[in-house]
Amino acid sequence: MRFLIRQFCSTLALLCLGSLQPGDGHFEARTQPSIADSSTEVQGSNAVRHLALPHLEPNMPIAPGRDEFMRACVTCHSARYVTMQPPFSRRQWEETVRKMINAYGAPADEFQVGKIIDYLEAIDGNGARPQTHDSTSDDDEIGAAPSVALLEATESAPAFEVAGSAQDREATARRGAVIFGEDCAGCHGDRGRGDGVAGQALLPRPADLTAARFSSEFLRQTLWNGVHGAPMPSWRSLPPRDLRALTAYVQSFHPPTNSGIAAPESLALGKVLYEKNCLPCHGSTGDGKGPAGAALAPPPSNFKGIQPDFDYIQRVLGDGIPGTSMPVWKDQLSESDRIAVAGYIRSLYDPAE
Amino acid sequence: MTSQTQLVSRPLNRRTFVRLFGAAGAGALISPLLSRASPNPSAPKEQLVGFPEKTNLILRTDRPPQLETPLNYFREDFTPNKAFYVRWHLEGIPTSIDPGVFRLQIRGHVEKPASLSLHDLRTQFEPLSILAVNQCSGNSRSFFEPRVPGGQWRNGAMGNARWTGVRLRDLLDRSGVKTGAVDVSFEGLDRAPLNATPRFVKALGIDHARDGEVMVAYQMNGADLPMLNGFPLRLVVPGWYATYWVKALHEITVLPEKFRGFWMDKAYRIPNTPNANEDPEHLATDTVPINRLSLRSLFVRPEPGEQLTRGTPFEIQGLAFDSGYGIQRVEVSINNGANWQVAQLDGDLGKYSWRRWRLPWLPETSGKYLLRVRAFNRAGHQQTTDLWNRSGFMRNVIEQTEVEVT
Repeated sequence: MRFLIRQFCSTLALLCLGSLQPGDGHFEARTQPSIADSSTEVQGSNAVRHLALPHLEPNMPIAPGRDEFMRACVTCHSARYVTMQPPFSRRQWEETVRKMINAYGAPADEFQVGKIIDYLEAIDGNGARPQTHDSTSDDDEIGAAPSVALLEATESAPAFEVAGSAQDREATARRGAVIFGEDCAGCHGDRGRGDGVAGQALLPRPADLTAARFSSEFLRQTLWNGVHGAPMPSWRSLPPRDLRALTAYVQSFHPPTNSGIAAPESLALGKVLYEKNCLPCHGSTGDGKGPAGAALAPPPSNFKGIQPDFDYIQRVLGDGIPGTSMPVWKDQLSESDRIAVAGYIRSLYDPAE
Repeated sequence: MTSQTQLVSRPLNRRTFVRLFGAAGAGALISPLLSRASPNPSAPKEQLVGFPEKTNLILRTDRPPQLETPLNYFREDFTPNKAFYVRWHLEGIPTSIDPGVFRLQIRGHVEKPASLSLHDLRTQFEPLSILAVNQCSGNSRSFFEPRVPGGQWRNGAMGNARWTGVRLRDLLDRSGVKTGAVDVSFEGLDRAPLNATPRFVKALGIDHARDGEVMVAYQMNGADLPMLNGFPLRLVVPGWYATYWVKALHEITVLPEKFRGFWMDKAYRIPNTPNANEDPEHLATDTVPINRLSLRSLFVRPEPGEQLTRGTPFEIQGLAFDSGYGIQRVEVSINNGANWQVAQLDGDLGKYSWRRWRLPWLPETSGKYLLRVRAFNRAGHQQTTDLWNRSGFMRNVIEQTEVEVT
């Protein structure tokens, strides 16, 4: 009920029901305003209507193929589309997966198809569905343990040449813009701000690609593997030159300026605070591989490959990132401390890595 | 079956009951029948959720949302907006609409393409109200055997409402349909994350679109449509399955040729056979787009699991509808089809509305009863006992429900 933003519609609907008269015709034409119109005047205001969708995604059982399933399927629909199904045979699941790819364009290659069917069969196909629980339940744990499959599925992306000359970069980015419009804008928005129409109900929300610098290496790995624990799928089924073009285009969102470095004394304070508060998950070098970070999905941000804007870091420290393990820090860190941490985090960026 | 049917033309009274069953025999008569598999799976524990502008509904899926109306809301002629079921196809459903900026586009094979505001629709066209059932093609899919993939609805993917708006014909006439028009297509504002996913576009033949009944509704039960039911505009196609009732309708295109979109040519197809029936082992190769509602009758009370008390009068209730021919008669059996009685029909609210029915019943003997219901319409259609197709569409078999009297 906390999501109920407006109740007056239904209230009025009930009021109007009492006035309905059985008619002998199946429809009635009216030229005079009726009760329906008078309620329109009340409601037909030009106020913008919003729909705040609740987030009720089920936590899916751990089994081989889970990552491929999450990436190829859960981008477009909740995993509940699977959990509501009765037990099906492997053949029936395969038919469904192939339909999703052929009819709806689910991003999965042949290797991934096999993994997805494995997963669907393992959790459901024989009817012995492992216990699932909803993210709405009280005992929900944020961040499932990493699956065995993660180790198999996450692999190093094949190298692709990043455009060198400015002219070459521009042409590549233009190509990337077209692909972005087709494959990415639905969630990340036309301008990469993370505000695509299909991203509204996703958790974590699609990344705002304008709020950080991303290294080519980081984008390459992310496009190849997707983001474990988030709806971002793997795009390894795209040809390498498309992946390269997307990389160039995403990098074009962020102006090359805005690379100010904090003062040394602030950096020193930021380092102390970072090592005390952030290092357990984000790691001493900022690579996101801290001792407590390995079990998290999605994984902690890798600051060697992402340089978030100062304001963005402030926002995240203030609010956390819903749908991830990143907590709110504004009660633990003073404003000046948060500024110092942000400066230090930005200094960790190392695009050559 | 008809030849074995004994019609009882008045509500069941005690004497009739005894005559039909024998004073002591009801339990004994019913028990063997109960050992057959019931088409109703044992009622699962349903998860209820509250979405904006909605009361607690049964959660089928969360993203995009599919929410089912609990059975108790069908005890009314009209389904309240807050309880009306929800079904979207594409994840990117509209989450913000500015009624002052929204425009309905009319384009394609017309003399004067138009871009109409909500104010234009309300003030420049004759308003019209139609009472009509809106039923999902896959309503009751979970009762198919063998089971089929898709939204696993019970009987609550339907509702009856008063739809108010303007005739599609008036909109098309204003824009001037050019000669040679064949189809009219309808697109909503919902979007998929991937461009590879076909946009949700449906189509009707030009004559159907101009029949004066198909309408663009801006109200439902006298109020704005809830966002989840298609605010600000929804196509209303009386007597046709809800897949055509495009939500958040924003573009109407007149076409000089047959529409060839995915959602007509590949999805929402039914076997071109009587009642859309096919054999799981030999799927039909000839298919057509789903279209008119099948004749249906359903129980509303007793609900699954509802307990009745011996010697206490009970009113069996339900509803029946078809695609507009009109319900002629509803018959109920309290002994699994051995005998049938005619139920009392509530008033006729219009040919596209559902019609509620009721039958007083005084269960005199404790035990389990299998109730059945079937409807007949003015076109002579009857319900059957078997129906299966690969998509789980158009379920309209003779319903049966089990009730325990203690």
